[in-house]
Amino acid sequence: MSAPILAARGVSKGFFGNPVLRSVSIELMPGRVHALLGENGAGKSTLINLLSGALRPDSGTIEIDGQAVGHHSPSEARRAGIAVVQQELSLTSSLSIAENIGLGAYPRRHGLVDYGALAARAGAACDLVGLHEPLATPVGDLSLGRRQMVEIAKALYRKPRVLILDEPTSSLSATETRILTGLLERLRAEGVAILYISHRLEEVMRLCQHVTVLKDGTCTADRSLEGVNAAGLVRLMVGRDPGDLFPHWTSTRTADTAIAISGFSAGAMQDVALDIKAGEVLGIGGLVGQGQEDLLLGLYGAIPAKVASATVNGAPGLPANVPDANRRGLAYVPADRKREGLHLIHPIITNLMLPAFARMPALKLRSRSAERETAMRLATQFAIKGDLGRAAQALSGGNQQKVALAKWMPHDPSVLLLNDPTRGVDVETKREIYNMLSGFAASGKAVILLSSDTPELVHLCDRVAVVREGKIATVLDHGELSEEAIVAAAMGAEREREAA
Amino acid sequence: MSDTSLASQSGTALYLAIQRKRNIGVRSLFLVVLAFLVAYGVLFPGLFTATGFAKFTQSWFPLALVAMAQAILMLTGGISLAIGALVSLGAVVAATTMTGPLGVTGGTLLVCVVGLGIGAATGLIVVKLRLPAIVVTLAGSFIIAGAALLVLPRPGGAIPDWLSNSLAGNTPAAFGVLVVIVLAWKLYLATPLGLSLYAAGEHPVGAYRSGVPVDAARIAAYAISGLLCTGAGLFVAAQTGSGDPIIGNSFTLNSIAAAVLGGIGFLGGQGTMRGALAGSLLLSLMISVMFFLGFTPVAQYVAQGLIIIGAVALPQFRMRAK
Amino acid sequence: MSISDAGILSRSRIRTIVTSRPFLTFAIVALVWIVASFVSRGFGAYGHLRYLVELAAVIGIVAAGQTFVVIAGGIDLSVAAIVTVAAVGLPLFAIDADPTGLTPILAVLAMTTVIGLVNGLGVALLRVHPMIMTLAMATFLQGLLIIIAGGSAVTASNPLVSWVGNARPFGVPAGILVWVVVSVVVLVVMHATPFGARLFAMGAGPLAAKLSGVPIATTTMAVYGISGFMAGLAGIIVLGMNGQGYVGIGDPYLLASIAAVVLGGTSILGGLGTYAGSIPGAILLVTITALITVVNASPGWRSILFGTLILVLLLLSGREAARR
Repeated sequence: MSAPILAARGVSKGFFGNPVLRSVSIELMPGRVHALLGENGAGKSTLINLLSGALRPDSGTIEIDGQAVGHHSPSEARRAGIAVVQQELSLTSSLSIAENIGLGAYPRRHGLVDYGALAARAGAACDLVGLHEPLATPVGDLSLGRRQMVEIAKALYRKPRVLILDEPTSSLSATETRILTGLLERLRAEGVAILYISHRLEEVMRLCQHVTVLKDGTCTADRSLEGVNAAGLVRLMVGRDPGDLFPHWTSTRTADTAIAISGFSAGAMQDVALDIKAGEVLGIGGLVGQGQEDLLLGLYGAIPAKVASATVNGAPGLPANVPDANRRGLAYVPADRKREGLHLIHPIITNLMLPAFARMPALKLRSRSAERETAMRLATQFAIKGDLGRAAQALSGGNQQKVALAKWMPHDPSVLLLNDPTRGVDVETKREIYNMLSGFAASGKAVILLSSDTPELVHLCDRVAVVREGKIATVLDHGELSEEAIVAAAMGAEREREAA
Repeated sequence: MSDTSLASQSGTALYLAIQRKRNIGVRSLFLVVLAFLVAYGVLFPGLFTATGFAKFTQSWFPLALVAMAQAILMLTGGISLAIGALVSLGAVVAATTMTGPLGVTGGTLLVCVVGLGIGAATGLIVVKLRLPAIVVTLAGSFIIAGAALLVLPRPGGAIPDWLSNSLAGNTPAAFGVLVVIVLAWKLYLATPLGLSLYAAGEHPVGAYRSGVPVDAARIAAYAISGLLCTGAGLFVAAQTGSGDPIIGNSFTLNSIAAAVLGGIGFLGGQGTMRGALAGSLLLSLMISVMFFLGFTPVAQYVAQGLIIIGAVALPQFRMRAK
Repeated sequence: MSISDAGILSRSRIRTIVTSRPFLTFAIVALVWIVASFVSRGFGAYGHLRYLVELAAVIGIVAAGQTFVVIAGGIDLSVAAIVTVAAVGLPLFAIDADPTGLTPILAVLAMTTVIGLVNGLGVALLRVHPMIMTLAMATFLQGLLIIIAGGSAVTASNPLVSWVGNARPFGVPAGILVWVVVSVVVLVVMHATPFGARLFAMGAGPLAAKLSGVPIATTTMAVYGISGFMAGLAGIIVLGMNGQGYVGIGDPYLLASIAAVVLGGTSILGGLGTYAGSIPGAILLVTITALITVVNASPGWRSILFGTLILVLLLLSGREAARR
């Protein structure tokens, strides 16, 4: 094969004295899909930011076409044909699809944005990713998955020679993922160098030819993917045998009803009936954005909900608000850790104690030593690494998720509402969280697990309710569970239409 | 749903489609403003004479300018508490220079340079030194107010009569100037730097990574905002025929009120300039109607406070009702 | 834990205190006082410094409420109007039946607290942005004040108010004593109660706080209620010190309270900070104003100097990274 288009040679980078990358090298070859794997906090995002010019290395060099670049900046990278699809969506909701796609690289005529050229080029990029909404649509009107496609179209618009994708599929539906896969195959054939970051190993296996593995800021593998299977990949990442990701499933479902609702409506969810037993893990599946989150938030009293009849932990009616839900034994772990789960600027200990502060008498004097004791116990129990006095933003994603879960434990909730608890979490923490879930169910708690990761639903749940267009399309028992069954139920409407 | 020949869609068609979509968010506001206008027209048929229209647009003009000045900053995620002080400074600079050796042209130029310069300096401090805008402009309001007092310690100075008469006389010249300013704004928004404003306000980091000159867009916004404020000051001086170092004070609050009434959010990137303009028109109409109905200043204050809260809280109620 | 561990701990704790914003602000105040007393005769006299602190007490008490609001993620732009309402309104509550003068004071404090609660109601339940809600409240109160006072000054003949403004038990002005009591209570509530912890959580991220069970609406209302109470208290002290209340008497305290909060290291974005910083922040503001008066410049230059000094102080210490 020819020479690399973009390469990092021995780059190191640290923040506030903490080294994040230590002398890492990577070469992106034309016509090759290169996987970048590593647990959260291994330094993947930092490496991407160095390659795309958003950050500068402390030492080492970035080379484009064999030439070391002195002042690597995002606009320089763009000129060199490097495009990045960021993991965190950064589109501007009030601008149209076309204006977002061209952002930072508008075609100009007489100093003004050339809307004609923009329409042509943005339209072409949208066609590539199967985005058929009118170009004038404000991005704020699009669903999360469609926005991700706009983000990808934005990268294609720049006619990249190097395309970097940071977990592009985490909010995509199966159809959208299929389109993306085909697109990447085509770009590869055209000689584009692609760097692909994903936690979904089967995708990596299918798409990529080469892999670089980061662990704690150093490169632990840089090899061809030929002859490597999924288990081998996990071994490369965690440095040991993966074993089984999921704990052995046994039903701990009891006959006692934890939550029973009928005629429940909240947000996008309409007329839902559910009966959840103590000791049960109930999965909520479906395509992204069908109203699943509103179901959890409505039960939790966080958004207004109507109900024909409801029993929650033996008492009638839904919780009126969140404090009421907490008093009645409900706890909620949100998907968006950074905005909804934690206060990143506050110390870990304060985050762990917040539900306690919320329910103690407002003006009772706090006991710092008792707080410290409780927090230490939780940290040990959940294997949360790091000094409890440090800000939560210093923690890796996995550890943050454990804090968001652990903070409820002192209050012994009887119903846990979990919203995609393993999104963007590394394999090791996933396994820990799965074990905790089984443990919760075994101790008689009811667990409602909303997940975008279908294998999770298959392996952990007693039953899975598949949501489609704000309704529960079907409820599958553990015996009927398979990834195919869930996906089929989630897409049922499309199938019927095709059949008709 | 859409035509498949997107690539052949002409630039004008796309531009117009985008503009139409932007109207959706402010449609109900436009209706409210229209209703107020009709009510005002029925109450005071004089509005439809040339003089009546001229007088009404003149009372609206400075408020429209400061609402735009505040809206630009709020779109980039900033805010200014120095709007009123800048209006005063513009007024006293105009009133002290125009009858002097600089003349009207020189005086106008100086007013513009002062606004652009102070705005850009504020922008540089906020953006490059990473200080919170609200505090910088708070401190800045003291400095600017002090400067206005130095230029003209007590009300005085003069504006040439012909200028007062042409801007604030019986012709709708002010409205014409406003139309020109709005067109200039549309033109600016059609430049890559102008269009970057929204992205720089909503997602500064993401915009920077996309290659948007975020800092430049924000500093430019502060400069334009300063220019609009001193321009409003010039007009106020022309209206009164002289300068007053504290004449602009009430504009700080009213600029924020107008922008928020117009649907501009505090978080950056939310809202449109047409909304802010409609907001300023609404506020101006409210003040005029109350004045003509013979509300005492007390009742005006009370009513204004209530109406602003009501207007802002209303969408919340509607959302909850859904 | 071994002895050497404890030693390291306490040393690191000393370092945290010395490098903390409240301490730095105190250090700046001390430095300015020392330098100024060498340059200007009489500046360092006990009587003068005591006078400065007495002036700072009013700002400090308004800033106490403002600190609560800002930490909880809001801002109160109605404090100046509330100070005026208290100062102008109190003489109207002249009740002959109560010779101590306590009843009118309690009535005024109740009234200003209710005004604050209404602010909180608008912010929490109507979801009006705090800046708009409190600005509109200020506009509203301005109208109300003209009804009450009609533009003329009103004289207070309340013995307790005069005492608060003029008495010096043990040689310390009563205003300063009130400030000390307020400071202790505020610091305890802020840093040693669950209520305080809820404020910080709300300011750092209202959504995460809500989902953790923090009662957002009641806490928001309480915060603005406290701010209203503090502004009312400050208004009573100002009235006592001045002897007369008039429309506009509270005007200086809006900017001063915000400046004191920010100079003391509390993040204007909420979620981080302490009243321990606002205390020296208030004294620093008064000191700057006094220094500018010493310079004997025209009002224009005084205003420019004041603004520039605040800006410089911010540059020295007030930088904060952008966060959302």
